[in-house]
Amino acid sequence: MTKSSPTFILNYCIFLIAVGITGCSEKSAEETRPPLKAESHSPASLEEATPKPVVVTEKTRETYQWYCAQCHGIQGKGDGINARFLTVPPRNHTKAKYLETRTDEQFFEAIKFGGLSVGRAPCMPAWGNTLSDSTIHELVLYIRELCQCEAL
Amino acid sequence: MKSFLYLLMGGWLLCSPMLSHASLIQEKKCSECHRLSKDGNEKSGPDLFYAGNKFQASWLKQYLQNPAIIRSARGTGDPDFLKGIQVNSQKHPALSKKDAGQITQELMAITLLNLPEEVDRLEPLTKGQKAKTKYQFERTFSCISCHQSLNLAGKVRGGISGPSLVNAGNRLQARWIANWLKSPNTFSNKSRMPVYKMDDEARLQLTQFIMTLKNENKR
Ligand code: HEC
Ligand code: HEC
Repeated sequence: MTKSSPTFILNYCIFLIAVGITGCSEKSAEETRPPLKAESHSPASLEEATPKPVVVTEKTRETYQWYCAQCHGIQGKGDGINARFLTVPPRNHTKAKYLETRTDEQFFEAIKFGGLSVGRAPCMPAWGNTLSDSTIHELVLYIRELCQCEAL
Repeated sequence: MKSFLYLLMGGWLLCSPMLSHASLIQEKKCSECHRLSKDGNEKSGPDLFYAGNKFQASWLKQYLQNPAIIRSARGTGDPDFLKGIQVNSQKHPALSKKDAGQITQELMAITLLNLPEEVDRLEPLTKGQKAKTKYQFERTFSCISCHQSLNLAGKVRGGISGPSLVNAGNRLQARWIANWLKSPNTFSNKSRMPVYKMDDEARLQLTQFIMTLKNENKR
């Protein structure tokens, strides 16, 4: 294979990307908040689930404990068991100051499609294949309850 | 009510192949911490009712004699999971070489029939594919947020809520990984891991990537 062969170059680029932009638990990448934008998602799913009024139930809290507390902590303070191994710390869901600057739609997208989809860190996984849209809407509301805040 | 319970018990005894005859697993009371069939609630240790699908026999034999920590935040079935009490010393019962050999055979015989997918031989990853799947492992699918793995320098990296994958290539069967990623419901009614929908090619390459993670590559 010659140095200029296209597959070589392609592979090399992929390699560079993989090495250059390190993952969630490489401490050296502390400052990287990737500006990457994932492919646009159809907003249809956002609308489908709106008719039913969204309320936080015991089930919502259980769901949060089951899936989210691993990183966000039992009380949502961003101190779950994985927290100290992640480059970008899990968001503290009780801190109004930052959460006020984010809309409910941004929360919904972050939970459904993962951190990368809203310009946040990839350490935040996508839950769209695990949780229904209505459950995700409830979780958004629950986070608003935790932070006692609304989008400004 | 009582007769209903007897009926349940009887059915359970008949249906669980492992417990219907005397075995060393039974004698050693492994089922105090591990489920050997899908019935009942998850126990403090990980499920073993598909041990024969999941583990490599050579690894099992080694582990049972000289267990190493895989879940340093405890398993998801432990009431103290999430509490941040890290496991520092290994307390798993250790067996003699002879018993470990016997139990390995018994465990390898506990299988689920008809796993959804056969995985025969996976092609080794090219350099480019390896870089791509590593990228997906860390970023697209966020696996590393919950599972330890090895970075390019051979250093252990990653979260601890899921089992460590640092030695996955010696511990797990490729077929099991591919099936777990495709249909986790086959093995667990409700895992804490997100469900993924990836195409077959991506899934098999990810499986192959995980199989390259081995203790001997650790530096
Ligand atoms: C594997 C660890 C992990 C798990 C599990 C996890 N998160 Fe996150 N989450 C993160 C990290 C890390 C961030 C911070 C991302 C950033 O700031 O760039 C985050 C950020 C967020 C944000 C804020 C996004 C923003 O706009 O800044 C929301 C909302 C959120 N998570 C909700 C959830 C919910 C709900 C669950 C459970 C279904 C969950 N997370 C599970 C790691 C996790
Ligand atoms: C006191 C509870 C307890 C008993 C008794 C016990 N185990 Fe375990 N076992 C555990 C826990 C907890 C783990 C998870 C350890 C870890 O991940 O680091 C485990 C892990 C394992 C694993 C690895 C599973 C995996 O998915 O990684 C095997 C195999 C195993 N045990 C077999 C046995 C056998 C065979 C016996 C009986 C001789 C037995 N165990 C008895 C608690 C127990």
